[in-house]
Amino acid sequence: MSGPAVRHLYVHVPFCRAKCDYCDFYSLPVGDDGSARRRMAEYIEALHAEWAATAARYDVQHLHTLYLGGGSPSLLGPELLDRLLAPFAPLLSARSEVTVETNPEDVDDAFALWAAPGIAVGAAADSRCPVRVSLGVQSFISSLRAALGRAAAADPEAAFTRLRMTGCENVSIDLIYGIPGQTLADIARELIKVAFLAPDHVSWYELDLDHATPLAWRLDSGDRIDDDDDEERAAMYVRIVHGLEDFGFRWYEVSNFAQPGKRARHNIAYWRGRPYLGLGPAAVSTVGATRWRNRPDAAGYAAALDEGPEPERDYERLSVADRARERLFLAARMGAPVSLTLIAPALDEAAVEPLAQAGLVSLRGGTLTVTRKGRYVANAVCVRLFRDSCI
Amino acid sequence: MTDLAHIRNFSIIAHIDHGKSTLADRILEITGTIDPRDMKEQILDKMDLERERGITIKAQAVRIAYTARDGQQYQLNLIDTPGHVDFTYEVSRSLAACESAVLVVDAAQGVEAQTVANAFLAIDNDLEIIPVLNKIDLPAVNVPEAELEVHELTGATPEEILRISAKTGEGVVDVLEAIVQRTPAPAGDPEGAPRALIFDSVYDQYRGVIAYVRVVDGAFNVREQVDMLGTGQTAEIEELGHFGPEMVADKRLAIGEVGYIITGVKDVAQVRVGDTIVTHKRRAAERLPGYRVVQPMVFCGLFPTEGDKYDELRDALEKLALNDASLAYEPESSRALGFGFRCGFLGLLHMDIIRERLEREYDLELLATTPNVEYHAIVTSGEAVIVRNPAEMPDEGVIDHVEEPYVRASVLVPTEFVGTIMELCQGRRADFVDMQYLSPERVQMHYQLPLSEIVLDFFDQLKSRTKGYASLDYELSGYRQSDLVKLEILLAGEAVDALSLIVPRGAAHARGKALVQKLRQKIPRQLFEVAVQAAIGSRVVARETVKAKRKDVLAKCYGGDITRKRKLLEKQKEGKKRMKQVGVVEVPQEAFLAVLEIDSSGKTR
Repeated sequence: MSGPAVRHLYVHVPFCRAKCDYCDFYSLPVGDDGSARRRMAEYIEALHAEWAATAARYDVQHLHTLYLGGGSPSLLGPELLDRLLAPFAPLLSARSEVTVETNPEDVDDAFALWAAPGIAVGAAADSRCPVRVSLGVQSFISSLRAALGRAAAADPEAAFTRLRMTGCENVSIDLIYGIPGQTLADIARELIKVAFLAPDHVSWYELDLDHATPLAWRLDSGDRIDDDDDEERAAMYVRIVHGLEDFGFRWYEVSNFAQPGKRARHNIAYWRGRPYLGLGPAAVSTVGATRWRNRPDAAGYAAALDEGPEPERDYERLSVADRARERLFLAARMGAPVSLTLIAPALDEAAVEPLAQAGLVSLRGGTLTVTRKGRYVANAVCVRLFRDSCI
Repeated sequence: MTDLAHIRNFSIIAHIDHGKSTLADRILEITGTIDPRDMKEQILDKMDLERERGITIKAQAVRIAYTARDGQQYQLNLIDTPGHVDFTYEVSRSLAACESAVLVVDAAQGVEAQTVANAFLAIDNDLEIIPVLNKIDLPAVNVPEAELEVHELTGATPEEILRISAKTGEGVVDVLEAIVQRTPAPAGDPEGAPRALIFDSVYDQYRGVIAYVRVVDGAFNVREQVDMLGTGQTAEIEELGHFGPEMVADKRLAIGEVGYIITGVKDVAQVRVGDTIVTHKRRAAERLPGYRVVQPMVFCGLFPTEGDKYDELRDALEKLALNDASLAYEPESSRALGFGFRCGFLGLLHMDIIRERLEREYDLELLATTPNVEYHAIVTSGEAVIVRNPAEMPDEGVIDHVEEPYVRASVLVPTEFVGTIMELCQGRRADFVDMQYLSPERVQMHYQLPLSEIVLDFFDQLKSRTKGYASLDYELSGYRQSDLVKLEILLAGEAVDALSLIVPRGAAHARGKALVQKLRQKIPRQLFEVAVQAAIGSRVVARETVKAKRKDVLAKCYGGDITRKRKLLEKQKEGKKRMKQVGVVEVPQEAFLAVLEIDSSGKTR
């Protein structure tokens, strides 16, 4: 083991029960025929091969966070999940964060019972790392889930309760606002559910129609969202932030809220510009100035790793200014202070003063912080802060 | 060389779309001047823009050999003229080079404002008028009605009025015969000191300026030394010849003939339309009548939408000005729009053409400010300050009074619209002069009104309120004192020079209010609340607020999304380049056009 230290690992599990209309992650619906398990086994084998080759190039003695995203990783079931995690378990410790994404329809007793006690990690046989479960609720209101084109009819509340009853102590839920037909009253209803269920962490995203999903096509997102619609979404956003804060959640990133001590450490690593490795089709890695993305092709992925050490990848070289811009906009989203020296290559210094005057950023001890007020308009603040010439 | 008795110089004049170019095409075809294989529509209009818009911008000339019914061969010189009011002076010089004018009137439309204006120009130049009713092949024509109007206008008897279809060719030979029979042969002194009238000039990048001339006295030879009497330019004739319709070099251009002279002079401003060319050896002292340097009447700022294209814009203007002595431009710097040029034009069409040519031929994207006229601000010291840009208007405190250009406008309408026109003119500060019936159905009304009203929207209003039946012609009649104020627009407390307007005091409130409302709609929400105000001096007359953005965030951002999100923000930054930064406010370019969307009563068009 040599090379730069990497402490964060993402594993992409490209299987789901059925593709949802708003989803732009890479995944393949699996049928009920026997071929599904065979493909999953092949995938795990390929993943381990990719890991073996990758691990040899970096210092990965310890992993602070491991994130199983998808798709719907819980579809693998306890046996395959254990098989998948086998090479990583020795690198984790009881203080690591292991997150597994799941969807309400995939939370059966077996999965809940697998997740609840955590996984055996490290050298000592009795050391366990808790599993953090991220549950893709999207909405507690069934008509809105239907509007999103969610294929499954499972009740997210029941899934959440099942996780809690079996003993899962760290559960995050994903919610979406800005769904066509969603009203401010609906947001209040979602908030009441959140208060009642008391998850440890909430990711509440605005529906993103910017790219190629069936929902975006259906809504013809080519048209600019009009001003009234924007106003409505702004009101929802404000209501969400205030509502969750009233329940003790900390608004620690534009779309993320956590109870004390329950922030998502894996995501924070992304946002602080830490190096991370990603395995599996469509997974992205960034180490230093290099970012690469495995091709989003499960069959091609398995085939390539059958033959050689690496899947097909697209590489991106990040310039000094690229990295500075990323540091700036990611810090802005968290309201975290960022060193002026670090972002200097991307910064239009003349823009800082008027923004500070308006209370959108603050300067202290050589750092710049996007304020709480500025976080609501973090995009526009960053665009204003970016220097012209470096693009 | 053709003897004088067999030369006929004529032009064709008409209102737009009455068939001038079609008649010219047929004449060239019938006389075999153009090979049928080379024939295309509007053959004399060489610019793409002319063909697309169906207009003539530059004058053209062509020599036609025609064997008449009397068996004799004649040299006919057709001078094609621009028809639009913006180019009245050019038209008058082209007409001065002729002895007759074929007046084409669409038999279905009847006499229109430009028909009248051009007919009077021809009469002023002592031309024989050959009236022609065109489009008689169309079913909707009213020949007797149109004949009556033409008679009223020219005094021609029904027998003298020809009836043709330029499209089918019917009657075109009769037009040629009428040209031969009714056009006086050129007068002048064949042995006198040589004089030639310049009726147009164009710039060729290889040969310099090409002067289009009509020889009035004597003859010119290659290699002769010549002078331009108006500009004082001296040069040697490098080449001369006639148009066939391409340039055909000759050794000599003699009295009565129409052709071209190339001297190697590189500047069109030295070879001006209306000037007189004389020879050095036998120098005629007297200039031909009618020479003047035309002055631009309409001004606007032209700015590249991308700031770094300033040099390209300057080069393009230089090149266009080579060919267009009436285009004026000088550098202008606007706090809001950066560096550009304040350009002067003969009129709105001229402005449109120049702008379109800059964008098309030079691939420039331009932002044009609201056009305005030239004001004269008489300050308390008695001095007159020339104001071609509203931002240059002196402070109200030092102004004694302001004068603005007025025009004498002639409006031709069917009688049913007389009330409509009176109503329109009342709202446009127009003074009624008189009214004449051209026929029981059509009337010509004269008004004195500020040119600025025409620049604003008078013509559009005229057309829309009369369902397109009214036609308009006008000429500058002088400066008059008016009660005008400078209306300034302030964004977040800062005056935006490019949005300043000079307006009648009485209309200032309504215009200011409409303008700030429009701007509020055009300026997107910003990070800060932005006050949009209209002010006269220090007095705010209207105010609107652009509210601050409440939310502008991207949704989730995972490891794999970082590049995409960064690029999205970078793209937005790139998009801001098309915004103009005015103080702390980012203003989209369209906002600067908001002024154009407000009519003089303050309503949105």
